[in-house]
Formats: sequence, structure tokens, C-alpha cells
Amino acid sequence: MTLVTLGTIEQALAYSSILSFLAIGISLLYKTTKVPNFAHASFATAGAYSVYSISTILGLNPYIALIVAFSSVVLMAVLLFIVLEPLRRRKASTQMLMIATLAYDILMYGVLNVFADTIQALFKIPSRTVTLMRFDFTIAGLRGVLVVSLILLSLSAIILYLILNRTYIGICLRASMENQALAESIGINTRVTLLISWIIAGGLAGLGGGILTIWTQIDPSIGMLLIPSMFCASILGGLEEIYGAIIGGFLLGFVEIIGIEVLARSVGTWVTPYRPAIPLIILFTTLLLCPKGLVGPLREAIRKSWRRG
Amino acid sequence: MFELFMTFVIDLLAFFLIYLILNIGLNIELGYTGITNFGTVFWFSAGGFTVGALATRLGAWLLNIDTSGMDFIDDNMAIVTKINGVLKGEPLQGLMLLILMILIAGVIGAFLGVLMSIPTVRLRADYLGIAFLASGEILNVIGVAYRPLVGGPPGVAVPDVWAWAGEWRFPVATFTIFIFAVIFLAYAEYLVRTPLGRSLRAVRDNEFAAQAYGKDIARFRLIAMVIGSTLISISGALYVLYSQAANPSFFRFHWTFLPWLMILLGGIGNNIGVLIGTFIYNTIYKLIVFYKFALMGILPFDVVWLNYILLGTLILLILIYRPQGLLPEKPPKIRLERGGRSS
Amino acid sequence: MLEVESLNSGYGKLHILQDVCLKCEKGEIVALLGPNGAGKSTFFNSIMGLADVFSGSVRLDGEELVGLSTHKIARKGVGYAMQLQGVFADLTTEENLKASAKMAGINYEEVLPEILDYFPDLRRFLKRKALTLSGGERQMLTLSISLIRSPKVLLLDEPTAGLSPLYSTKIIRAIAQINKSRGLSIVLAEQNVRKALEIAHRVYLLVSGRIIFEGTPSDLSSREDLMKLYLGGESK
Repeated sequence: MTLVTLGTIEQALAYSSILSFLAIGISLLYKTTKVPNFAHASFATAGAYSVYSISTILGLNPYIALIVAFSSVVLMAVLLFIVLEPLRRRKASTQMLMIATLAYDILMYGVLNVFADTIQALFKIPSRTVTLMRFDFTIAGLRGVLVVSLILLSLSAIILYLILNRTYIGICLRASMENQALAESIGINTRVTLLISWIIAGGLAGLGGGILTIWTQIDPSIGMLLIPSMFCASILGGLEEIYGAIIGGFLLGFVEIIGIEVLARSVGTWVTPYRPAIPLIILFTTLLLCPKGLVGPLREAIRKSWRRG
Repeated sequence: MFELFMTFVIDLLAFFLIYLILNIGLNIELGYTGITNFGTVFWFSAGGFTVGALATRLGAWLLNIDTSGMDFIDDNMAIVTKINGVLKGEPLQGLMLLILMILIAGVIGAFLGVLMSIPTVRLRADYLGIAFLASGEILNVIGVAYRPLVGGPPGVAVPDVWAWAGEWRFPVATFTIFIFAVIFLAYAEYLVRTPLGRSLRAVRDNEFAAQAYGKDIARFRLIAMVIGSTLISISGALYVLYSQAANPSFFRFHWTFLPWLMILLGGIGNNIGVLIGTFIYNTIYKLIVFYKFALMGILPFDVVWLNYILLGTLILLILIYRPQGLLPEKPPKIRLERGGRSS
Repeated sequence: MLEVESLNSGYGKLHILQDVCLKCEKGEIVALLGPNGAGKSTFFNSIMGLADVFSGSVRLDGEELVGLSTHKIARKGVGYAMQLQGVFADLTTEENLKASAKMAGINYEEVLPEILDYFPDLRRFLKRKALTLSGGERQMLTLSISLIRSPKVLLLDEPTAGLSPLYSTKIIRAIAQINKSRGLSIVLAEQNVRKALEIAHRVYLLVSGRIIFEGTPSDLSSREDLMKLYLGGESK
């Protein structure tokens, strides 16, 4: 008996890669600023709506519109960076910064809804519960968006790794993330490196959000709906582990989609509406049992066994 | 015309008072003890769900109403109508039901407060914020998914404990809530001046004395959470009782963020500030809703989104330009400084 | 050279340093002594812009440093070896040094031999992650990170703190050597009074945020009252 269909695996892979795009940004920002960025919800939504509006209004292929998604969310992220600067300079506490990102998220939620309403009125196009699935192509029986998102994710991860480890700016970034005072003391302008972190995080979130539009239906609340999963993926990997976010993303993505599918088949479809509880429960448990996530401790365990063996 | 105005005012007052009770609870956790509870909607929902799930059942049982062959969810409207019919002539029973509901909601809230105080000791401020936010969402999921609780997506109706007041129902209901609010406000003001209040403040400011009594920090956080949670839960119960209906999902926006804004506006830690902040925001909100129809023709978007933009901008402005709120001078003053870590 | 005048600084509402004055001339080793909590680290943080300066001035070769951002101050030629967390734990020793050299526009390969001259032990753990280094090794690395940038003045915050006598001696000796061969101005905060007095040209005593003594090492040694009260009584 096949518990899982190919279609479900496709779903899981696509969902996981979208989560990963978003979770990397959250982890990167947390590692740099020590603040969980709750505005990531709006980043995702903005990416989704950028692709949707550009594609629908200008008639562009949605995959090309991804570039716009990348840029527009970068702008949104940079704006948030600017808003947070006075707080950061004042050495405001983590709580205050968290509240600030929450407030920015609410603000942008309103703006995105206004955007949706406005384009609907101005261009006479639907703007809620919409999708661009029909523009997708298929490769070897698989949905194009799945292939593209996996390729983009891999490319992004590789490029990010190369930037962080082989370039001058990347080393400055890593140094600032690790020890801000020392980085400044050797002449690194950590304000600039901070800005770059926001740009990278925003861009990746934009890509994730853009892919979302092609993969499924979107709505101005899509970001808010996904935020528990985004954070859960990030925390599973470890809030300070950039690449761990990808592991967390796939872990959670598979549990959410395949896990629920398996459960529904075995105990009944009544479990399906409980799906949103999965990331919440996992998030909670992880925070209580191993708040640093799975990747860090795993790495330590491997290192220890290496040394022993 | 006057009647319309009075209805508006009384409704505004009821919401103001419900928020006030919630905010007093949050203030005890945040302002007095420094616990950044980003999940107040969790306890609000708990109180609301308590009433939604129990009020009808208990009401039927109390009033000896025959519900054989009826289902509390499927025949919800019918049962509630029956109950209200009886309650019209039974003020004492109505009040008893009210008190009972408040008590149960309070106890459940307190219990959940104990539960959630465990993470407050073990987690750092940032992780704790995430944990609190997550907790708020869990009840929403259950509320929507588990139909027997509050009827799934459509929600359920709830008996009118003020049915006996007839056409004075709303003013009487508001007045009842007013009494609760006064009691809680008085208690909160009293609490500040007690040794317990000072201990809570010591925990908040991470004072050396508090740290020396390491074990007690956990205890004080627990106490603050219990008191705060009870109040927040009660506010949720009152909201549902007032609205005569229970939603399966209470929104983070209304019952976590708005309370935070109101407290930030007035100045964390100080109850008069909480009062003022709550008042200012509620008035603005109700005015926006009221004038929504006037603005509807002019703007291409729904005016309700302005609410979010306004809220977000306001909080950001406060944080950047006046983090201490409108009334900073009253002790105990909160300084959300570095060092909000749990021990 | 480095001139600190009437410095009042601290963190937020905490006022730690009161009217502190200190001068370090070219080629001098100035020792900043004082009991725990006196404010020595705050002093260095204030110069580097890592603490809040309420009033006063800090001038390097006549140029005002107060108000500049830390990285600018570093680029103007102030090197800072912190007491704690003075290394990038996740990088190897070599990467630490390379990063520092690169930021200062210095060719790593060219200056490495000189650094190894002062701290030959470094050769042993060049390829190891800083995280894995012992206390003494880490301090050597911390010092080298600042040194490799060829600063005009070096601020050393308790370089021998918590180290074995062996490492303490190595480090103090290296500091003296660096000063002599390069003519590098050094401000040295130390708990190890004896060693500090051995190599310093002048000494300041900081107690509870105030400078209560300024003079030569021998001047300080002869002040038995101060030695006993604040410096653990050691005079030789």
C-alpha cells in the first residue's frame, strides 16, 4: 500500500524549499541582530504580490517577475533596517526591537491589503485568493515550480556560502555576526554589514514569496499564515544556523505535508484541520528542549565521535 | 439621534472596559514583572472558549431546561433561545451564571498561567517572545478544528446573562463590566504598593537583591503570570458574555497587539497610563469604524486597513520617539533595558 | 600622542569614569592599575567608542576621537586587545590574523614573520580554530590581532588575566619587546602589578572611576599606603 503519493512528495518538496528561503533569512537576521524578525511574514506576502501584480498587469512570465519580487522585498527590508536604526543606536532591548518588527509587520499588512484592493480597483483584476499556477510548465511530469524552486534554493545556498566564505565582504559579515565589538575594533563598519544582512534576508524572502504565488493560492494573509512554520523551520535548524534553516525547512515541510497525509490516511481526515498546530507544537517543544536547534548539537555530537574514533 | 449616540458610547465603553481589564493583567506581567507576554490572545481565547463551551451547558443545567435529544452544538441556537427565555425573568440565575462563568474562566486562566510560567524561567527574552506568540495561535487552531468546543468556524451563541434587564441590557452589561474593571484596577494599584509588588519590580529590574534569591525569581514570575492570566482570561469571558457569541479564533491583532499598543501609549508599568492609552486607541478605532461609510466612496480600498497602518505606525513612532509612553513620571517606571534576560 | 582629558563616561545611566586624565607619549608604555571594577575596561571602551562618553575628550595625535564610530577610531590607528572575547572563535588563528591584516590593508604574508618573532608559540596553532585555544594561546592571538594592524597606539586590557606565570611572563616580555623594537605606544591595564611595573614607563592608578595617582613605577612602589590599599600590598 502506498502511504504517500508522488504528488504529495512534490508538494512537500515545493513547500519545504519555500520555507527554506524564508527561514534562512530569519536565521541570518537573528544571527546578526539577535532579534527574531516577525516582519518576515510581510516580506513573504510582498514577494508573492510583487510577482502576482507584475505578472498579471504587465503580462510578464512569473519566473521573470521573480527578479522584481527580489528587489521589492529588499526595499522593504532596507526600510525596516532604517526604521530600526534609531532603536539600535540607542541600544534598545531585544523586547523593544521585537515589538518594532511586529509593528512594522502590522503596518505592512495594512499596506499590502491596500495594495491588493487598489490593484483590483484600478486594473480590474482579482487580487485575493489568486494564483499564477496556470502559467507554470512541466518538466518530466513534475511541476515547473518545484524544479525551479529547488534549483534556485540550491543556487542561493551555494552563492551565499561563497559570498560568506570567499569574499572580503562575506568575511566582514561573518566577523560582525560573530563578535561585533571586535569586528569594529579591527575596522569593520558593522552598520554596513548589518544592512547587507537585511538585503540578503529580504531578497531570499522575496524569492520564497514569489515562488509561493506560482505554487499555490495567495492572499494578503499568506505571510501571517506561514509565519509559525517559518519560525519553526528556523528554530528547528537553530536560530543561529544559516544553513540549518534549510534542514529545518525540509524537516518541517515534510512533517507538515507528508505527516498529515499519512495521519489522515491512517486515522481519518479529521486530523487535517489540525495541520497548523504542527509547527506550533514542534516550535514549542524545540524551544523548551533544545532551544539552540538540532544542527548545533548534532554537529557537536559528530565532532565528539570523530575525536573519539 | 441621541439614542444612536448613547448606543455608540455605551458600546465604546464596554470595549474600553474589557480592554482595560486585559491590559491591567498584561501590565502586571509586563510592567510590574518584566515578562514580555506576546501571547495574551492565548488567555483571552481561553476565557472566551470557556464561556463558549460551558455557558450553554451550565445554563441549561442550572435552569433545569430539558435538552434531551438536542446537541449543544448542532442545536445551539435553539437551546440558547430557550435559556434566554427563562433568563428573562430570572435575574438571580443570570447573575449566578455570570459569576460562575467568570470564576471558571479565572481558574482556567490561572492554571494556564502556571503552565506558561515554566517557559518564562527557562527561556531568554527573544525565545520567550516566540514561544508566547506560538501559544496564542494554538488555541485558534483547536478552536477552528475541534467542533465540539465552540462549534468550529461559525462559532456558537451564548446565553444572555443580562436577559432580565430587557431593553436596558446593554447599559446594565456595561455597568457590570465596569464593576469588574474597578475591582481589578483597585487591586492592581494596591498590589503595586505591597511587598509583593516591590518584589515583582525587583525581578523586572534584575536587581541584585532579586538575583540573590535565585529560586524566588521563578516563584515571582509564576505569581505574576497567574494573576495576569486570570485577569486576561476573565476579560475574554466578559467579551463573549457581552457579545453573546463565541468566535472559534480570536485574532492576534485585536487581543495581543492592540493591548500592547495601548500599554505602550500610556506608559508601561503605570495603570493610569494604561487607562489613557486604552481610551485613546479605542476612541480612534471606533471613530474610524463609524466614519468608514463616509470614506468608503472616496478611497479604492477598505478603510479598515487604515487601522493596521495606523496601529503599526503609532507603535513605531512611540518606540522611536517616546518609548516611555505618555505618562512617564509615575512610578514604578519600566525601562525595557538590556538585561531583560531570564536568570 | 594619546591624550585623554577630563573623561566622564559609562554605560547608559551608569556613570563610571569621573574626570579621568591620561597621557601616553610616543614610544611609552603607560600602565593603568587599579582594583577590580575600578573602570579600566570602561576606560578602553570609552576610547574605542564602545561606551557612552558624557563629556571630555580623547585625542590621538591631536585628532578628536570622541563621537566617532568605533571602526573609524580603529582605522585612525587605535588597536584594542580586549580582555574577554578578543578573538573570532569560529575562525582559525590564521583566519583571525588574516582578517585583521586585510582590514588594515596590510599584506599578511609580509608581516607574519614579525608577529611570529614576538609570539613564536603561534606557529603551533595557526591552523586551529580559536575556539579550541587555551587561555594563554588565546591571549597571544588577541594581542597579535591588534598588533598585526600596525596601530599607532595599543590598548591592552589585562593581557595576563587568568594566565599561568609562564604565559604571563611570555606575554609581558613580548609587550616590552614590541614597545622597544617598534617604538609602539602602549596603554596597559593590569591586575598583575609587579609585572606591569617592571615594564612601564609611567603609571596611573584608577580607583572607583578616578585617577588618584600619576607617576613613575618607582614613585608608586614607594607609596606603601596606596600599594597596600589598592594593589594587594606588593611593592617589588
